[in-house]
Amino acid sequence: MTRSEGVAYVHRIVSVQTTSSGPITATGTHPRNNDGQVIAITVFSTIKLQGRVFLPVLFAVTRRFPKLTGTLRQLSFIHFARWCVIGKLPYNGPPQKKGRFRYPHMYFESNFNGGWEEYIDAFSHILTSGMTAFWGSSYGFPKPLPTAPFKRYIQANETETDHYYCAYPDATSTMIQRALELDERLAALKRDAERLDPDAFAAAYRAFLTDMQKAL
Amino acid sequence: MGSPNVAGQAYAFMAMTPIKPGEECPLAEYLRGLRAHGPSPLARLARTHIGRFVIVPDFHNDPTWKQRREEHLDLNYLIFTSNFDGALDSYLDELCERLAPEASEIWGRCVGCPESARGAALKAYLKHNQIKTGIFFTAYGHATVGEVKQALREREGMIAFAVASQGLEPEALQKAFLAEIGIAR
Repeated sequence: MTRSEGVAYVHRIVSVQTTSSGPITATGTHPRNNDGQVIAITVFSTIKLQGRVFLPVLFAVTRRFPKLTGTLRQLSFIHFARWCVIGKLPYNGPPQKKGRFRYPHMYFESNFNGGWEEYIDAFSHILTSGMTAFWGSSYGFPKPLPTAPFKRYIQANETETDHYYCAYPDATSTMIQRALELDERLAALKRDAERLDPDAFAAAYRAFLTDMQKAL
Repeated sequence: MGSPNVAGQAYAFMAMTPIKPGEECPLAEYLRGLRAHGPSPLARLARTHIGRFVIVPDFHNDPTWKQRREEHLDLNYLIFTSNFDGALDSYLDELCERLAPEASEIWGRCVGCPESARGAALKAYLKHNQIKTGIFFTAYGHATVGEVKQALREREGMIAFAVASQGLEPEALQKAFLAEIGIAR
């Protein structure tokens, strides 16, 4: 599967445009990780020696050149995601122990819609090199492909949420992105509605519907 | 280069606090029951897009992973993360005020939390335990919660209008559009 075929495949299986009362295929995850359409994933992994140097550089480069997350953006079912490297936790007094971890740990969380299985499949097939860059320096990382060992790895390192909240649980990320695009274009059509004669407005309205078909 | 916690106007906050020994189960029970009596308390923070509470009991160790030595957390830890609009300080002010009834049940069970888990003392505690983000990805980080909700409403309205207005003559179409979809803001 090429990258563009992969993206199209994932769009077919994951992207849902209609509002619904629950997740479509929240397969492979605990109900506590859901709020409506939105699913939480929370993963810790332990970083090898080389990751201590490599990951901060990778993070800095990715922040400096946000276009590197373009493929992630193509996976339009992600709302928000984050990665952090934790070498030491703030000290709050006893009985907490003071000091650094023996190994740094990477925290990853994502908020997405669709199904857990499909999400991991999409990550593995489309972000193959990106996944290796992020998790390649973690102990036990089995490479993104084939997906079965990778799914087992994620499951072993995943922690279920105890409480999860989304302000717009019935909306998918794709719906939101398209609604925001529609909102912008609709503002122009509203201005046209006030100033154009009926025939010109009808033409503008038809053009709007044609252009924005995907967003509706 | 801006803060790694920020993407667009969205902020990624994370606090990781140690749970007092013996309080792990009551805290888990409390967090899991938060929806039993109504909406999530995070709904009272109108700038919150998505938030979560996670209790982490330990790191995962697997002997086949060739990790030279196992590593374990000293205590169970509570993770709170939020993806929200705008600046951290004002958000935490809102959180410490509006979540005060729940805060003592949540962070009050954590080591080092001030006795009165609210206001400036709670804010300082959360900031002290903040974990810096490495990379923050947002699909629509330029849009606030209010803008997202408004756009979703507009989209629903537009879909309904497009269906209902089929076959209308130009004059009736324009009139109906102005009446139902409205004028530019």
